[in-house]
Amino acid sequence: MGGGAAGIGAAGAARQADPGAAVTVFTEYEDVAYSPCGIPYVHGKEIPSFEALFLQTKEAYVKAGIDVCYETRVSSVDTTRREVQVEGRGTVPYDRLILATGFDYADPGVPGGDLGGLYYVKNIRRAMEWDRVLDSVKTAVVVEASPLGLEMITALAHRGITVHVVDPHPWALAELADPDIMRPVEESWAEMGITTHFGTRVEAFLGEGTVRAVRTTAGEIECDLAVICTHKQPNARLAAAAGLALGSTGGLVVDERMATSAAGVFAAGDCTELPHGVNRVPIACLTGSHAYAQGKVAGTNAAGGSRVYQPVYVPWGMVAGTWMVGGASFGETLATALGIPFVMGVADGISRARYYPGVRKVRVKLLAEPAGHRLIGAQMVGGEGIKERADFLGVAVRTGITLEDLATMENVYSPPIGALNEPISVAAQNALASLRR
Amino acid sequence: MRARFSRWLRVNSEHYLLESAQAEMAKRYLGRSVPATERGLVPGLWRHLFVPMYHRLPQRLRQSAIEAMPGSHRRHWSEPPPRPHIPGIQ
Repeated sequence: MGGGAAGIGAAGAARQADPGAAVTVFTEYEDVAYSPCGIPYVHGKEIPSFEALFLQTKEAYVKAGIDVCYETRVSSVDTTRREVQVEGRGTVPYDRLILATGFDYADPGVPGGDLGGLYYVKNIRRAMEWDRVLDSVKTAVVVEASPLGLEMITALAHRGITVHVVDPHPWALAELADPDIMRPVEESWAEMGITTHFGTRVEAFLGEGTVRAVRTTAGEIECDLAVICTHKQPNARLAAAAGLALGSTGGLVVDERMATSAAGVFAAGDCTELPHGVNRVPIACLTGSHAYAQGKVAGTNAAGGSRVYQPVYVPWGMVAGTWMVGGASFGETLATALGIPFVMGVADGISRARYYPGVRKVRVKLLAEPAGHRLIGAQMVGGEGIKERADFLGVAVRTGITLEDLATMENVYSPPIGALNEPISVAAQNALASLRR
Repeated sequence: MRARFSRWLRVNSEHYLLESAQAEMAKRYLGRSVPATERGLVPGLWRHLFVPMYHRLPQRLRQSAIEAMPGSHRRHWSEPPPRPHIPGIQ
């Protein structure tokens, strides 16, 4: 159930594990196998067309023996009888069920939520329609500087649209990133003409039929469009109605095989919750790459194979304004919120040799356990190489690498791609130096 | 019922713990205090009772409380293999 990264990953893996298995995918949407994460970049004109976001044709699934049922809604699940109710088709039995029902945006919960002109970025067909609307939009309000919000803010500004950002937090991406990491991003937004309203709540969407303004705690902002980028919540409604166990995140409880609390039912992607590798706190709604990898595990196990997933360390990264930001596991804000003790090292370095054209600043923050100095997280802002550093640091946290290991690490030095001093290493050296003081 | 309670506790504790940490970070890095955007008795109780109490609890107790909540962390997850150690080499 579900045609996103998790559902399609699961379907492919199930066929691979058991080529004789009859695999059916139910999706409410018109398409599968496209990259919804690419939608903001088509809106921003970095990518010329939505067609580029499709990874497979519908025929490819027919050839692969996967029966994809488009625009088909499953209305209920009965795990005792091992059957699902499908609208327009009746009862469909199964041997194994994989739930990959994705996420919903948190409801802003304010009046005017039913007006036209409120854009929830999700489905590519709707995105194609919205893209035509964007041609006539002069002013847009982006509600919350979440990960998607960051991408949409930049995309709309690239499109020449006047952008206002309304966010209840004190800085952008404040549920994930630290203020010093986000400061260059916010400065670049200001240079791009983007107006930010932090510490501000949306009180209502105003208009007759279509939104014409957003009323906030800091006043009214006139607009032609509001893009709702509130945080993602697991969509586990059908599973909950079927009696499957949900965790504190609202996501489906799963084990390392992605098996749920019901026999023969697996789950993957944004509808599930996974334990964090550092403190075991379950978290939900991670990235597309997490969803796809979980889908592979769920699909393999559902078809009789054997594969396990692992607790997550969540490397992340994105382009925001004229910068790239990223990190892994805990930042300073989140560790402080959770009361996790840490020591910290910060370094301001450069992305390539200081004399090489295109050199950008890179700020790296490392957090480590006070005893033993094992890395527990990192945050970064820079112009390039942030994704690769985030991937590396995610593995570093996972494998228990220490500040001492990083302080003495070897690094690539080549003027066009890397500076003499690697900022990760300098941040670790600075952390150790501060401990000696 | 237990799942609903743990969801309620998670949503609220996450919100107010994060709000408190954000206020601390804003003071440290942005040089300004952050006024609370929600007022009233209930937010006040979370801010002035729950948050300080949470931070006063010993880390081990906090971790035990988190682990006692229902969720995926209570199902089976293999521990990562121990880090290889080569004698004589740090």
